Amino acid sequence: MFHALRVSDNEARDGASAARVGIGGPVGSGKTALIEALIPVLQRRNIDFAVVTNDLVTKEDAERLRRSGLIDPARVSAVEAGACPHTVIREDPTLNIAAGDELEARFPGLELILFESGGDNLASTFSLDLVDWWIFVIDVAGGDDIPRKRGPGLLRCDLLVVNKVDLAPHVGVDLDRMLADARQVRGTKPVIPTNLKSGVGVEAVVDAISAAVLFRV
Amino acid sequence: MLRVLQAIWQADGAFPSGAFAFSYGIEGALALRRDMTLGDFEALVAAMLKRRWASYDRVALLWSYRAGGDLEAIAAVDREVEASTLIETLRTGSRRNGGAYLASHARLGQPLAIALRDDVQAGNCLGHIAVMQGAVWSELGLDEALAQLCSGYTAASGVITAAIRLGAMGALQGQGVLQRCLPLIEQLAAQEVPDDVELSSFVPFLDIAAARHAQADLRLFAN
Ligand SMILES: Nc1nc2c(ncn2[C@@H]2O[C@H](COP(=O)(O)OP(=O)(O)O)[C@@H](O)[C@H]2O)c(=O)[nH]1
Ligand SMILES: [Mg+2]
Repeated sequence: MFHALRVSDNEARDGASAARVGIGGPVGSGKTALIEALIPVLQRRNIDFAVVTNDLVTKEDAERLRRSGLIDPARVSAVEAGACPHTVIREDPTLNIAAGDELEARFPGLELILFESGGDNLASTFSLDLVDWWIFVIDVAGGDDIPRKRGPGLLRCDLLVVNKVDLAPHVGVDLDRMLADARQVRGTKPVIPTNLKSGVGVEAVVDAISAAVLFRV
Repeated sequence: MLRVLQAIWQADGAFPSGAFAFSYGIEGALALRRDMTLGDFEALVAAMLKRRWASYDRVALLWSYRAGGDLEAIAAVDREVEASTLIETLRTGSRRNGGAYLASHARLGQPLAIALRDDVQAGNCLGHIAVMQGAVWSELGLDEALAQLCSGYTAASGVITAAIRLGAMGALQGQGVLQRCLPLIEQLAAQEVPDDVELSSFVPFLDIAAARHAQADLRLFAN
Protein backbone atom coordinates (compact mmCIF):
# COMPACT_ATOMS: atom_id res chain seq x y z
CA MET A 1 0.00 0.00 0.00
CA PHE A 2 1.32 3.46 -0.89
CA HIS A 3 1.63 5.99 1.85
CA ALA A 4 1.78 9.76 1.77
CA LEU A 5 5.26 11.23 1.52
CA ARG A 6 6.28 13.58 4.25
CA VAL A 7 6.78 17.18 3.25
CA SER A 8 9.35 19.51 4.73
CA ASP A 9 8.04 22.37 6.86
CA ASN A 10 8.32 25.03 4.18
CA GLU A 11 6.23 22.95 1.80
CA ALA A 12 3.39 22.48 4.26
CA ARG A 13 0.14 24.42 3.89
CA ASP A 14 1.05 28.09 3.96
CA GLY A 15 -0.81 30.62 6.03
CA ALA A 16 -3.57 28.21 7.04
CA SER A 17 -4.22 28.34 10.74
CA ALA A 18 -7.44 26.36 11.25
CA ALA A 19 -7.02 22.59 11.28
CA ARG A 20 -8.67 20.97 8.26
CA VAL A 21 -10.36 17.61 8.64
CA GLY A 22 -11.88 15.56 5.81
CA ILE A 23 -14.92 13.30 6.13
CA GLY A 24 -15.20 10.82 3.27
CA GLY A 25 -16.96 7.56 2.54
CA PRO A 26 -19.62 6.00 0.31
CA VAL A 27 -22.92 7.74 -0.40
CA GLY A 28 -25.39 7.24 2.44
CA SER A 29 -22.90 5.96 5.02
CA GLY A 30 -23.73 8.87 7.36
CA LYS A 31 -21.21 11.67 6.65
CA THR A 32 -23.75 14.46 6.96
CA ALA A 33 -25.32 12.73 9.96
CA LEU A 34 -21.88 12.59 11.57
CA ILE A 35 -21.39 16.32 11.06
CA GLU A 36 -24.85 16.99 12.50
CA ALA A 37 -23.91 14.92 15.54
CA LEU A 38 -20.48 16.55 15.90
CA ILE A 39 -21.83 20.11 15.84
CA PRO A 40 -23.37 20.24 19.34
CA VAL A 41 -20.39 18.46 20.88
CA LEU A 42 -17.91 20.83 19.22
CA GLN A 43 -20.00 23.78 20.38
CA ARG A 44 -20.14 22.48 23.94
CA ARG A 45 -16.36 22.18 23.92
CA ASN A 46 -16.04 25.77 22.62
CA ILE A 47 -14.29 24.74 19.44
CA ASP A 48 -14.62 27.43 16.77
CA PHE A 49 -15.44 25.58 13.54
CA ALA A 50 -16.97 25.76 10.05
CA VAL A 51 -18.06 23.22 7.44
CA VAL A 52 -17.49 22.86 3.69
CA THR A 53 -19.72 20.38 1.84
CA ASN A 54 -19.03 18.87 -1.57
CA ASP A 55 -22.35 17.92 -3.03
CA LEU A 56 -22.52 15.89 -6.17
CA VAL A 57 -25.73 17.50 -7.38
CA THR A 58 -27.22 20.72 -6.06
CA LYS A 59 -26.37 21.98 -2.58
CA GLU A 60 -28.52 19.53 -0.68
CA ASP A 61 -26.11 18.74 2.17
CA ALA A 62 -25.15 22.38 2.68
CA GLU A 63 -28.82 23.39 2.78
CA ARG A 64 -29.61 20.55 5.19
CA LEU A 65 -26.92 21.81 7.58
CA ARG A 66 -27.85 25.47 7.12
CA ARG A 67 -31.50 24.77 7.84
CA SER A 68 -30.74 22.49 10.78
CA GLY A 69 -30.60 25.48 13.13
CA LEU A 70 -27.52 23.86 14.66
CA ILE A 71 -24.97 26.18 13.10
CA ASP A 72 -24.73 29.76 11.79
CA PRO A 73 -25.56 29.29 8.06
CA ALA A 74 -22.65 31.61 7.14
CA ARG A 75 -20.30 28.95 8.51
CA VAL A 76 -21.39 26.41 5.90
CA SER A 77 -19.89 26.67 2.41
CA ALA A 78 -20.88 24.51 -0.56
CA VAL A 79 -18.49 23.46 -3.31
CA GLU A 80 -20.06 21.76 -6.34
CA ALA A 81 -18.03 18.80 -7.45
CA GLY A 82 -18.61 18.98 -11.23
CA ALA A 83 -19.71 15.32 -11.28
CA CYS A 84 -16.34 14.33 -9.83
CA PRO A 85 -16.51 13.72 -6.07
CA HIS A 86 -13.01 12.28 -5.93
CA THR A 87 -11.40 15.00 -8.10
CA VAL A 88 -12.54 17.80 -5.80
CA ILE A 89 -10.85 16.23 -2.76
CA ARG A 90 -7.83 14.67 -4.43
CA GLU A 91 -6.63 15.54 -7.94
CA ASP A 92 -7.91 19.11 -7.84
CA PRO A 93 -8.69 20.21 -4.28
CA THR A 94 -8.22 23.92 -5.12
CA LEU A 95 -11.92 24.86 -4.91
CA ASN A 96 -12.02 23.35 -1.43
CA ILE A 97 -8.73 25.00 -0.46
CA ALA A 98 -10.11 28.36 -1.61
CA ALA A 99 -13.39 27.78 0.28
CA GLY A 100 -11.38 27.01 3.44
CA ASP A 101 -9.17 30.09 2.98
CA GLU A 102 -12.25 32.22 2.51
CA LEU A 103 -13.87 30.90 5.71
CA GLU A 104 -10.65 31.59 7.61
CA ALA A 105 -10.55 35.14 6.30
CA ARG A 106 -14.18 35.69 7.34
CA PHE A 107 -13.91 34.04 10.78
CA PRO A 108 -10.46 34.90 12.11
CA GLY A 109 -10.73 32.76 15.27
CA LEU A 110 -11.53 29.60 13.33
CA GLU A 111 -9.85 26.48 14.76
CA LEU A 112 -11.35 23.69 12.70
CA ILE A 113 -12.86 23.26 9.22
CA LEU A 114 -14.68 20.02 8.38
CA PHE A 115 -14.83 19.05 4.68
CA GLU A 116 -17.59 16.61 3.75
CA SER A 117 -16.81 14.67 0.59
CA GLY A 118 -19.63 14.25 -1.92
CA GLY A 119 -19.75 10.52 -1.42
CA ASP A 120 -17.76 8.13 -3.50
CA ASN A 121 -16.57 4.54 -3.48
CA LEU A 122 -14.11 2.68 -1.30
CA ALA A 123 -11.15 4.03 -3.28
CA SER A 124 -11.63 7.68 -2.40
CA THR A 125 -8.90 9.42 -0.43
CA PHE A 126 -8.27 13.03 0.57
CA SER A 127 -5.31 15.03 -0.71
CA LEU A 128 -2.99 16.11 2.09
CA ASP A 129 -2.83 19.49 0.32
CA LEU A 130 -6.37 19.95 1.53
CA VAL A 131 -6.65 18.29 4.93
CA ASP A 132 -4.37 17.57 7.87
CA TRP A 133 -6.28 14.50 8.92
CA TRP A 134 -9.29 12.61 7.61
CA ILE A 135 -12.09 10.31 8.60
CA PHE A 136 -13.65 7.61 6.43
CA VAL A 137 -17.23 6.63 7.26
CA ILE A 138 -18.65 3.22 6.30
CA ASP A 139 -21.82 1.65 7.64
CA VAL A 140 -22.76 -1.86 8.67
CA ALA A 141 -25.64 -1.96 6.19
CA GLY A 142 -23.07 -1.78 3.38
CA GLY A 143 -22.03 -5.33 4.32
CA ASP A 144 -19.56 -6.87 6.74
CA ASP A 145 -17.18 -7.75 3.92
CA ILE A 146 -16.23 -4.08 3.37
CA PRO A 147 -13.17 -4.16 5.67
CA ARG A 148 -11.91 -7.29 3.92
CA LYS A 149 -12.10 -5.50 0.57
CA ARG A 150 -9.31 -3.24 1.84
CA GLY A 151 -10.23 -0.15 -0.18
CA PRO A 152 -7.67 2.68 -0.05
CA GLY A 153 -10.13 4.95 1.77
CA LEU A 154 -10.58 2.46 4.57
CA LEU A 155 -6.89 1.63 4.84
CA ARG A 156 -5.38 5.09 4.60
CA CYS A 157 -7.76 7.27 6.57
CA ASP A 158 -6.62 8.48 9.98
CA LEU A 159 -9.87 7.39 11.62
CA LEU A 160 -12.34 4.78 10.41
CA VAL A 161 -15.92 5.25 11.60
CA VAL A 162 -18.19 2.20 11.34
CA ASN A 163 -21.65 3.74 11.49
CA LYS A 164 -25.23 2.47 11.88
CA VAL A 165 -24.24 -0.21 14.39
CA ASP A 166 -27.91 -0.23 15.42
CA LEU A 167 -28.73 -1.82 12.06
CA ALA A 168 -26.41 -4.83 12.43
CA PRO A 169 -29.08 -7.29 13.64
CA HIS A 170 -31.47 -6.17 10.89
CA VAL A 171 -29.07 -6.72 8.03
CA GLY A 172 -27.53 -9.95 9.29
CA VAL A 173 -24.13 -8.44 10.06
CA ASP A 174 -21.86 -9.85 12.76
CA LEU A 175 -20.70 -6.50 14.16
CA ASP A 176 -17.90 -7.88 16.35
CA ARG A 177 -16.43 -9.71 13.41
CA MET A 178 -16.74 -6.64 11.15
CA LEU A 179 -14.95 -4.46 13.71
CA ALA A 180 -12.27 -7.10 14.28
CA ASP A 181 -11.66 -7.32 10.52
CA ALA A 182 -11.45 -3.54 10.27
CA ARG A 183 -8.96 -3.33 13.14
CA GLN A 184 -6.91 -6.13 11.67
CA VAL A 185 -6.50 -4.50 8.24
CA ARG A 186 -5.80 -1.08 9.82
CA GLY A 187 -3.06 -2.16 12.19
CA THR A 188 -2.67 0.49 14.89
CA LYS A 189 -4.91 3.13 13.29
CA PRO A 190 -8.18 3.75 15.16
CA VAL A 191 -11.68 2.42 14.40
CA ILE A 192 -14.73 3.88 16.15
CA PRO A 193 -18.21 2.28 15.94
CA THR A 194 -21.10 4.77 15.97
CA ASN A 195 -24.86 4.93 16.01
CA LEU A 196 -25.64 8.46 14.91
CA LYS A 197 -29.35 8.00 15.59
CA SER A 198 -28.63 7.71 19.31
CA GLY A 199 -25.24 9.46 19.51
CA VAL A 200 -23.14 6.42 20.43
CA GLY A 201 -19.45 7.04 19.64
CA VAL A 202 -19.76 10.75 18.83
CA GLU A 203 -17.79 11.93 21.88
CA ALA A 204 -15.04 9.48 20.96
CA VAL A 205 -14.86 10.94 17.43
CA VAL A 206 -14.52 14.47 18.82
CA ASP A 207 -11.85 13.24 21.26
CA ALA A 208 -9.93 11.78 18.33
CA ILE A 209 -10.18 15.00 16.29
CA SER A 210 -9.16 17.11 19.29
CA ALA A 211 -6.16 14.97 20.09
CA ALA A 212 -4.99 14.69 16.49
CA VAL A 213 -5.33 18.22 15.14
CA LEU A 214 -6.38 20.57 17.93
CA PHE A 215 -3.80 19.20 20.36
CA ARG A 216 -6.39 19.16 23.12
CA VAL A 217 -6.85 16.07 25.25
CA MET B 1 11.68 26.43 -25.17
CA LEU B 2 11.09 26.76 -21.46
CA ARG B 3 8.19 29.15 -21.99
CA VAL B 4 6.51 26.60 -24.29
CA LEU B 5 6.89 23.97 -21.60
CA GLN B 6 5.45 26.37 -19.04
CA ALA B 7 2.47 26.88 -21.37
CA ILE B 8 1.94 23.13 -21.78
CA TRP B 9 2.09 22.78 -18.00
CA GLN B 10 -0.58 25.45 -17.59
CA ALA B 11 -2.87 24.11 -20.33
CA ASP B 12 -2.70 20.54 -18.99
CA GLY B 13 -6.03 19.42 -17.55
CA ALA B 14 -4.09 17.83 -14.67
CA PHE B 15 -3.05 21.25 -13.37
CA PRO B 16 -5.42 21.92 -10.44
CA SER B 17 -7.40 25.10 -11.10
CA GLY B 18 -10.96 24.21 -10.18
CA ALA B 19 -11.97 24.34 -13.86
CA PHE B 20 -13.50 20.86 -13.82
CA ALA B 21 -16.48 22.04 -11.74
CA PHE B 22 -17.70 24.60 -14.29
CA SER B 23 -19.42 24.07 -17.63
CA TYR B 24 -19.90 27.76 -18.51
CA GLY B 25 -23.41 27.18 -19.84
CA ILE B 26 -22.88 23.80 -21.53
CA GLU B 27 -24.83 21.75 -18.96
CA GLY B 28 -27.77 24.12 -19.39
CA ALA B 29 -27.46 24.06 -23.18
CA LEU B 30 -27.50 20.26 -23.30
CA ALA B 31 -30.56 20.23 -21.05
CA LEU B 32 -32.34 22.72 -23.32
CA ARG B 33 -31.55 20.96 -26.59
CA ARG B 34 -32.09 17.29 -25.95
CA ASP B 35 -31.85 16.64 -29.69
CA MET B 36 -28.49 18.38 -30.09
CA THR B 37 -26.25 16.57 -32.57
CA LEU B 38 -22.49 16.35 -32.36
CA GLY B 39 -22.36 18.83 -35.26
CA ASP B 40 -24.59 21.27 -33.37
CA PHE B 41 -22.36 20.95 -30.33
CA GLU B 42 -19.26 21.62 -32.39
CA ALA B 43 -20.88 24.72 -33.86
CA LEU B 44 -21.78 25.87 -30.35
CA VAL B 45 -18.19 25.49 -29.15
CA ALA B 46 -16.98 27.41 -32.21
CA ALA B 47 -19.50 30.18 -31.50
CA MET B 48 -18.36 30.31 -27.90
CA LEU B 49 -14.73 30.64 -29.00
CA LYS B 50 -15.48 33.36 -31.56
CA ARG B 51 -18.03 35.41 -29.71
CA ARG B 52 -17.21 34.91 -26.06
CA TRP B 53 -13.62 33.78 -25.72
CA ALA B 54 -11.93 35.82 -28.48
CA SER B 55 -13.72 39.10 -27.85
CA TYR B 56 -14.13 38.87 -24.09
CA ASP B 57 -11.99 36.46 -22.05
CA ARG B 58 -9.02 36.86 -24.38
CA VAL B 59 -9.21 40.65 -24.23
CA ALA B 60 -9.43 40.66 -20.42
CA LEU B 61 -6.57 38.16 -20.30
CA LEU B 62 -4.32 40.36 -22.43
CA TRP B 63 -5.14 43.57 -20.56
CA SER B 64 -4.27 41.84 -17.32
CA TYR B 65 -1.14 40.34 -18.90
CA ARG B 66 -0.07 43.80 -20.06
CA ALA B 67 -0.54 45.20 -16.53
CA GLY B 68 2.82 43.56 -15.79
CA GLY B 69 1.99 42.66 -12.20
CA ASP B 70 0.55 46.08 -11.24
CA LEU B 71 -2.14 45.13 -8.71
CA GLU B 72 -4.17 48.31 -9.21
CA ALA B 73 -4.27 47.87 -12.98
CA ILE B 74 -5.19 44.18 -12.63
CA ALA B 75 -8.02 45.06 -10.23
CA ALA B 76 -9.34 47.61 -12.74
CA VAL B 77 -9.56 44.94 -15.47
CA ASP B 78 -11.20 42.65 -12.95
CA ARG B 79 -13.88 45.23 -12.16
CA GLU B 80 -14.52 45.69 -15.87
CA VAL B 81 -15.14 41.95 -16.25
CA GLU B 82 -17.42 41.93 -13.21
CA ALA B 83 -19.45 44.83 -14.54
CA SER B 84 -19.88 43.38 -18.00
CA THR B 85 -20.77 39.77 -17.18
CA LEU B 86 -24.54 39.78 -17.23
CA ILE B 87 -25.35 36.24 -16.17
CA GLU B 88 -24.87 35.77 -12.45
CA THR B 89 -23.65 32.15 -12.45
CA LEU B 90 -21.10 32.95 -15.13
CA ARG B 91 -19.89 35.86 -13.05
CA THR B 92 -19.67 34.00 -9.73
CA GLY B 93 -18.33 30.89 -11.49
CA SER B 94 -15.54 32.90 -13.06
CA ARG B 95 -14.65 34.34 -9.67
CA ARG B 96 -14.66 30.97 -7.92
CA ASN B 97 -12.65 29.40 -10.72
CA GLY B 98 -10.18 32.29 -10.42
CA GLY B 99 -10.00 31.85 -6.64
CA ALA B 100 -9.16 28.16 -7.02
CA TYR B 101 -6.57 28.94 -9.70
CA LEU B 102 -4.93 31.49 -7.37
CA ALA B 103 -5.02 29.00 -4.48
CA SER B 104 -3.00 26.63 -6.66
CA HIS B 105 -0.34 29.13 -7.66
CA ALA B 106 -0.21 30.61 -4.17
CA ARG B 107 0.48 27.18 -2.69
CA LEU B 108 3.19 26.72 -5.29
CA GLY B 109 4.73 29.92 -3.96
CA GLN B 110 4.11 32.31 -6.90
CA PRO B 111 4.46 35.78 -5.31
CA LEU B 112 1.94 37.63 -7.52
CA ALA B 113 -0.62 34.85 -6.98
CA ILE B 114 -0.16 35.20 -3.22
CA ALA B 115 -0.63 38.99 -3.47
CA LEU B 116 -3.73 38.58 -5.66
CA ARG B 117 -5.22 35.92 -3.39
CA ASP B 118 -4.77 38.25 -0.41
CA ASP B 119 -6.29 41.11 -2.42
CA VAL B 120 -9.32 38.97 -3.27
CA GLN B 121 -9.75 38.04 0.40
CA ALA B 122 -9.45 41.68 1.38
CA GLY B 123 -12.09 42.62 -1.20
CA ASN B 124 -9.73 44.77 -3.31
CA CYS B 125 -10.01 42.44 -6.26
CA LEU B 126 -12.65 39.95 -7.43
CA GLY B 127 -10.48 37.26 -8.98
CA HIS B 128 -12.04 36.53 -12.39
CA ILE B 129 -10.31 33.57 -14.01
CA ALA B 130 -9.22 35.18 -17.28
CA VAL B 131 -7.80 38.18 -15.42
CA MET B 132 -5.92 36.02 -12.91
CA GLN B 133 -4.54 33.82 -15.71
CA GLY B 134 -3.27 36.86 -17.62
CA ALA B 135 -1.57 38.24 -14.52
CA VAL B 136 0.08 35.00 -13.43
CA TRP B 137 1.07 33.83 -16.92
CA SER B 138 2.85 37.09 -17.52
CA GLU B 139 4.86 36.43 -14.32
CA LEU B 140 5.58 32.86 -15.39
CA GLY B 141 7.19 34.20 -18.57
CA LEU B 142 4.66 33.07 -21.18
CA ASP B 143 4.56 35.50 -24.10
CA GLU B 144 1.25 37.00 -25.27
CA ALA B 145 0.80 34.41 -27.99
CA LEU B 146 1.32 31.47 -25.62
CA ALA B 147 -0.92 33.01 -22.96
CA GLN B 148 -3.71 33.32 -25.52
CA LEU B 149 -3.23 29.78 -26.80
CA CYS B 150 -3.34 28.41 -23.24
CA SER B 151 -6.47 30.39 -22.51
CA GLY B 152 -8.27 29.33 -25.71
CA TYR B 153 -7.25 25.73 -25.27
CA THR B 154 -8.43 25.53 -21.65
CA ALA B 155 -11.71 27.27 -22.57
CA ALA B 156 -12.44 24.73 -25.33
CA SER B 157 -11.21 21.65 -23.49
CA GLY B 158 -13.15 22.69 -20.36
CA VAL B 159 -16.55 22.77 -22.02
CA ILE B 160 -15.83 19.64 -24.06
CA THR B 161 -14.73 17.73 -20.95
CA ALA B 162 -17.92 18.87 -19.20
CA ALA B 163 -20.02 17.56 -22.11
CA ILE B 164 -18.20 14.22 -22.01
CA ARG B 165 -18.79 13.95 -18.27
CA LEU B 166 -22.47 14.69 -18.80
CA GLY B 167 -22.60 11.73 -21.16
CA ALA B 168 -23.46 13.87 -24.19
CA MET B 169 -20.66 12.36 -26.26
CA GLY B 170 -17.90 9.80 -26.07
CA ALA B 171 -14.43 10.73 -24.86
CA LEU B 172 -12.97 10.28 -28.35
CA GLN B 173 -15.82 12.13 -30.06
CA GLY B 174 -15.04 15.00 -27.69
CA GLN B 175 -11.35 14.88 -28.57
CA GLY B 176 -12.34 15.03 -32.24
CA VAL B 177 -14.23 18.26 -31.58
CA LEU B 178 -11.29 19.65 -29.63
CA GLN B 179 -8.84 18.76 -32.37
CA ARG B 180 -11.00 20.52 -34.95
CA CYS B 181 -11.14 23.61 -32.68
CA LEU B 182 -7.36 24.03 -32.66
CA PRO B 183 -7.02 25.88 -36.01
CA LEU B 184 -9.84 28.21 -34.95
CA ILE B 185 -8.09 29.02 -31.67
CA GLU B 186 -4.88 29.72 -33.56
CA GLN B 187 -6.70 31.99 -36.01
CA LEU B 188 -8.56 33.90 -33.29
CA ALA B 189 -5.41 34.34 -31.20
CA ALA B 190 -3.74 36.04 -34.16
CA GLN B 191 -6.21 38.95 -34.07
CA GLU B 192 -4.75 42.11 -32.56
CA VAL B 193 -6.14 43.35 -29.25
CA PRO B 194 -5.80 47.13 -28.97
CA ASP B 195 -5.98 48.62 -25.49
CA ASP B 196 -9.04 50.73 -26.27
CA VAL B 197 -11.32 47.92 -27.51
CA GLU B 198 -14.49 47.12 -25.50
CA LEU B 199 -15.11 43.75 -23.91
CA SER B 200 -17.86 42.09 -25.89
CA SER B 201 -19.62 38.77 -25.62
CA PHE B 202 -22.60 37.59 -27.63
CA VAL B 203 -23.69 33.96 -27.40
CA PRO B 204 -27.33 34.42 -26.37
CA PHE B 205 -28.19 30.72 -26.47
CA LEU B 206 -25.40 29.84 -24.02
CA ASP B 207 -26.23 32.80 -21.78
CA ILE B 208 -29.91 31.87 -21.63
CA ALA B 209 -28.98 28.24 -21.01
CA ALA B 210 -26.69 29.31 -18.15
CA ALA B 211 -29.43 31.48 -16.65
CA ARG B 212 -31.95 28.63 -16.82
CA HIS B 213 -29.39 26.20 -15.41
CA ALA B 214 -29.12 28.35 -12.28
CA GLN B 215 -32.79 27.54 -11.57
CA ALA B 216 -32.46 23.78 -12.15
CA ASP B 217 -33.06 21.46 -9.18
CA LEU B 218 -30.53 18.96 -10.37
CA ARG B 219 -27.15 19.98 -11.67
CA LEU B 220 -23.66 18.60 -11.66
CA PHE B 221 -21.74 21.75 -12.55
CA ALA B 222 -21.64 25.10 -10.81
CA ASN B 223 -22.64 26.92 -14.00
N1 LIG C 1 -30.21 3.56 11.57
C1 LIG C 1 -29.28 4.49 11.37
N2 LIG C 1 -29.42 5.34 10.31
C2 LIG C 1 -28.48 6.28 10.14
C3 LIG C 1 -27.35 6.41 10.99
N3 LIG C 1 -26.59 7.43 10.53
C4 LIG C 1 -27.19 7.92 9.43
N4 LIG C 1 -28.34 7.24 9.19
C5 LIG C 1 -29.28 7.47 8.08
O1 LIG C 1 -28.62 7.11 6.87
C6 LIG C 1 -29.07 7.95 5.81
C7 LIG C 1 -27.88 8.58 5.09
O2 LIG C 1 -27.20 9.47 5.97
P1 LIG C 1 -26.43 10.75 5.46
O3 LIG C 1 -25.81 11.39 6.63
O4 LIG C 1 -27.27 11.58 4.56
O5 LIG C 1 -25.30 10.04 4.55
P2 LIG C 1 -24.15 10.69 3.65
O6 LIG C 1 -24.56 10.49 2.23
O7 LIG C 1 -22.93 9.87 3.96
O8 LIG C 1 -23.99 12.12 4.03
C8 LIG C 1 -29.98 8.98 6.41
O9 LIG C 1 -31.31 8.58 6.18
C9 LIG C 1 -29.65 8.92 7.90
O10 LIG C 1 -30.73 9.27 8.71
C10 LIG C 1 -27.25 5.49 12.10
O11 LIG C 1 -26.29 5.49 12.89
N5 LIG C 1 -28.24 4.55 12.23
MG1 LIG D 1 -24.01 13.85 2.83
